[in-house]
Amino acid sequence: MELFLQRTVDGLSEGSVYALLALGLVIIYRGTGHLNFAHGEMALFCAYAVYQFGEWGIPIGIAVVMGMGVGFLVGATAEVALVRPVARKSAFAVFIVTIGLFQFLNWLDGAIWGGQQLPNTGVGSKQISYPSLFPSADTDFVSIFGAEITIKSLGTIGLVLVLSAVLFFVFNRTKLGLAMRAVASNADSAKLVGIRTNTVLMLSWRIAAAIGALGGVVTAGNAQSVSQSLMFSVFIYASAAATLGGFDSPLGAVVGGLAIGVIQNLTAGYVEWVGQEMKVGVSFLVIVAVLLVKPSGLFGTAKVERV
Amino acid sequence: MTLLRTRGLTAGYGPVTVLHGLDLEVAEGEIVVILGANGAGKTTTMRAISGTIPRAGSVEFEGHDVHKSAPDAIVRAGIAQVPQGRGTFPELSVEDNLKVGAFVRRDGGGKIGADALRWFEVFPRLAERRSQRAGSLSGGEQQMLAIARALMSRPKLLLCDEPSMGLAPLITQELFQVLERLNKEEGLSVLLVEQNANLAMHMADRVYLLETGRIVASGSAAELSADDSIRKAYLGF
Repeated sequence: MELFLQRTVDGLSEGSVYALLALGLVIIYRGTGHLNFAHGEMALFCAYAVYQFGEWGIPIGIAVVMGMGVGFLVGATAEVALVRPVARKSAFAVFIVTIGLFQFLNWLDGAIWGGQQLPNTGVGSKQISYPSLFPSADTDFVSIFGAEITIKSLGTIGLVLVLSAVLFFVFNRTKLGLAMRAVASNADSAKLVGIRTNTVLMLSWRIAAAIGALGGVVTAGNAQSVSQSLMFSVFIYASAAATLGGFDSPLGAVVGGLAIGVIQNLTAGYVEWVGQEMKVGVSFLVIVAVLLVKPSGLFGTAKVERV
Repeated sequence: MTLLRTRGLTAGYGPVTVLHGLDLEVAEGEIVVILGANGAGKTTTMRAISGTIPRAGSVEFEGHDVHKSAPDAIVRAGIAQVPQGRGTFPELSVEDNLKVGAFVRRDGGGKIGADALRWFEVFPRLAERRSQRAGSLSGGEQQMLAIARALMSRPKLLLCDEPSMGLAPLITQELFQVLERLNKEEGLSVLLVEQNANLAMHMADRVYLLETGRIVASGSAAELSADDSIRKAYLGF
């Protein structure tokens, strides 16, 4: 029982990170219909930036907020300079551009923080130890029903829950949220009611990148180290989380992220032949199963309309 | 008083010019109908007025030149467009659709809520479905919602792009009656685009006939239907 609780909470904590990244993917996708392949790398760049701020002696709390600011700027730059010019031509071109951005940012991280001269794949690049957002000494845990739940896990889960609540409020109770939902639903009509759709799309990219920055910092902080390959797998899990939850549903992103974290941890813990190496496969099996029954994901809206 | 006046309005898509210099006028309190076949440029006319496609020529609204204004400024000026097909937000609830319609208004939630209630009275079927997603409504209900949504911005001029498309004749009649009533009781000016000449002529103060991006005839409904050649060639009755 303790073990089950422990594994579940650890899974929720891992899943929270996926949820943070998936939220950004979903916010961009539902606003613009674009899949931002560089989302993980944008987050990693911000995580490195926060590390840099720390090196300069800025306290971690302030550094994180500044890091989100960097994310906001990275999102703005990417949208204005790269995405908008090609978006008019084709949505597929945007996808290619974001792959390019993925490569570029990874190279840039390496050039600034990785200690390399040349662009490389990032694999095996220099590990830098990273400050944790939450107390993570061996003694920082609470005992609940005999399970040792780390403060780190609880903090990560709490952070995602708070952020989700804030986003829920913004989406459903504010005029900005209404505009974002309207643009996602019908961009042409949104223009006709006087919404500046470009401004809304711009904001989607910026908000998504800022949330991604937080995701990057938490990922690096929980791993207590950062390297160029840090976000590769996290990005894949986050995409999986968004797919599972429904690519146009922020709620789905959170639930999908948490679900994947828990499924991975439980199967890795309880099914011997799965273990640590195979756990990725299990969550993808679950995704395939869910998509077979519900192609739009758990909370996604199926594009069905009465005529 | 003239509410809307276009002079030499030209518009198109990329290299294709669809409108070749339209001179249109809508006076305050008028219902003006643009008739024309498929591809005549009716929808393009609407889009050119609402600023959702690039255009040339002058567009004056209440004496102000708005031909360079962005779509949101045009909505603020008092022109609301009900686009062709379903102008609704399918994933949003009926109520949220109306709220979005009031997006440009700055006069606070109370008055906006009161307006929403009013349109629920005019369209009782929307009231019954206020918390449903707009995408789950029938075609006629969605068209009603699209009109109510446009009216939420309190426009002086309503642009309606083929509201009859895909609707049963009875529903179309009901919609047209509502438009006529709003026109009579509230003095709402309406610029209506239609393929269905018969229905639209009944309520029109004036009619423009559009053919391949040019106005080929204009006048009151009675004048146009009195002209045999026009009637046979364009009106089909």
